Amino acid sequence: MSDHETDPSKLPALGRMLLWVDKPGSANKIFWALAVVCGLLFLADFTFEKHGYFDVENLPGFFGAYGFIMFTGLVLAAKGLRVLIKRDEDFYGDKAVDREEYPESGLDKVDHDA
Amino acid sequence: MLDQIPTAFLFFAGAIALFALPQGRLRGALLLIVPIIAAWQVWGLEIGSHQTMGFFNFELDLMRVDKLSRIFGLIFCLAAFLGNLYAWHVRDTVQQVAALLYAGSAIGAVFAGDLITLFFYWEGTAIASVFLIWARRTEGAFHTGMRYLVIQIGSGVILIAGVALYYRDTGSIAFENMTLGSLGTWLIFLSFGVKAAFPLLHNWLQDSYPAATITGTVILSAFTTKLAIYALARGFAGTEILIYIGVVMTLFPIFFAEIENDLRRVLAYSLNNQLGFMIVGIGIGTEMALNGTASHAFAHILYKALLFMSVGAVMFRTGTSKASELGGLYRTMPKTAMFCLVGAASISAFPLFSGFVTKSIILDQAAAGHMYIVWLALVFASAGVLSHSGIKIPFFMFFAHDSGMRPKEPPFHMLLAMGITAALCIAIGVYPEPLYALLPYEVDFTPYTTSHVVGQLQLLLFALLAFGILMRTGIHPPELRAVNLDADWTYRWLLPRIIRRVAGVVGAIWNGTLAFLGIRIKSIIAGLHHSHGPEGRMARAWPTGSMVIWISVLLGATLIVSFFG
Repeated sequence: MSDHETDPSKLPALGRMLLWVDKPGSANKIFWALAVVCGLLFLADFTFEKHGYFDVENLPGFFGAYGFIMFTGLVLAAKGLRVLIKRDEDFYGDKAVDREEYPESGLDKVDHDA
Repeated sequence: MLDQIPTAFLFFAGAIALFALPQGRLRGALLLIVPIIAAWQVWGLEIGSHQTMGFFNFELDLMRVDKLSRIFGLIFCLAAFLGNLYAWHVRDTVQQVAALLYAGSAIGAVFAGDLITLFFYWEGTAIASVFLIWARRTEGAFHTGMRYLVIQIGSGVILIAGVALYYRDTGSIAFENMTLGSLGTWLIFLSFGVKAAFPLLHNWLQDSYPAATITGTVILSAFTTKLAIYALARGFAGTEILIYIGVVMTLFPIFFAEIENDLRRVLAYSLNNQLGFMIVGIGIGTEMALNGTASHAFAHILYKALLFMSVGAVMFRTGTSKASELGGLYRTMPKTAMFCLVGAASISAFPLFSGFVTKSIILDQAAAGHMYIVWLALVFASAGVLSHSGIKIPFFMFFAHDSGMRPKEPPFHMLLAMGITAALCIAIGVYPEPLYALLPYEVDFTPYTTSHVVGQLQLLLFALLAFGILMRTGIHPPELRAVNLDADWTYRWLLPRIIRRVAGVVGAIWNGTLAFLGIRIKSIIAGLHHSHGPEGRMARAWPTGSMVIWISVLLGATLIVSFFG
């Protein structure tokens, strides 16, 4: 495979456009843009009358708060689960697919500039 | 003429015709034409029609056409077409034949109007599909395939046992809605549950799908589990226990998917989670809930295939599907990245993508039935879907850290298959009415209301925000080369060790007994040798001396016998 420094002019046009995401500061911009959108979505809850099946649905920002808290909880719980169930890749011996390379005959490894 | 042939037979005829054609474009074309003809046939079939056939004393119904079987038949044809288009480059007769037989069996099972026909096709899917795993032709794939086959065939054996008992109880083999109660119905339910990957019966799915060939996994992902969903919707709609089974199914896989490294296995967990939503719909059992299940199965087959295709495309070019080895591929595979993002948005149920217009029917029905906990769990599971399928798959493959790999886009036919599937995902999301018209019952549902859209966007984007914070703070677990234990630990690790231990104990007892007997026999021989051998006491006066002794013994015995006689 090629090294990290690839000449951008050799990339496909779409890939070149996307290079923006790796510019310094772009990740910050994306994050804060997302935060602003989330804020707007929270405010949007006040602009219409909700008719949910449950009272809790009618609380402003319920879905946002629930999504945020449960997602965080999920990631933390999964992290804890990993402590319990993580094993080496050869745990099931060397006759398991986790240990093998995919057969080359079924692949067609080609570099973009080949 | 065409409507006289059961749809499954079209696929079987295609599989035979394959052998007459040379490898290459002609075969590829046949693999694409068969599903098109089949779909065209299913489209033209009259709702309510049947095709019966005598079989010993039974009357089998090979083609029961109603709106429930038709929508599954159509999506299976579409999935077969897309899978075969994606596999256009494959020059392996085994996989080509298996793909047609497998799709044909699944479609045959969907149109089966009786339980015996269902059984034949049920086993057909098991036997045909295992070749898509074995076609990888490695030792690991062979072992995985054997495990898969044992479980899949086992499901069929349980099914036929249940059918026999059910027939004894009711005198009928018709495949209609059943009520759980007798042993027969429980066995049928269990057999469906194995294929539907119920909790603890699920591990064949995560074990086998990452072991199949790149194209084989795309095809596998469509049929077996959705056939089971169809069978449950047909046979056990409104069975309350399914609601709880479904909820557990939506929840537990999201934790495993979060920490799994092999992205094809992540997708298998995610598939399991999506099946949970469908099972909940079946458990609720109202007409709209069943509509939700059928439509979600339809949309799911497409976006799940799309996700497997995009991971497969990366694997085809890099040789791995492990998140720890990938990253930054958007630079040279931007089209694949875009298609993957469409699949991710569809499965996460972003508005304007297919998952949104189908999954919300099931959530709406759970809420309408005032199942508060069930509804909360499903909303949580929806955020979980975003975490592994919406974020993890595209992010760690195409973005995240730069792996340094600069692979080329996959071949044109793969891009085309992904493009068509992605277009369908968006089309269903933007304009769901044609899909709604195909559903088994009248649809009374508006997906695009302000509260639906805002609520769903809040759920997803706040979850995304949480992901951003967890990544920035470094709390999010990194991708590591590892395997995670799951229920298959019991039969891949524990059971062999128990058997080895038991075999050890039994072997020790056996050897001990043999050794003991050996010593006894030796000592008897030595004793005889001592008394009767050349130097023995009995041999010293041999033969006259011992003859006198034996005559006196005989005489004594005769005396005793005659005394008591």
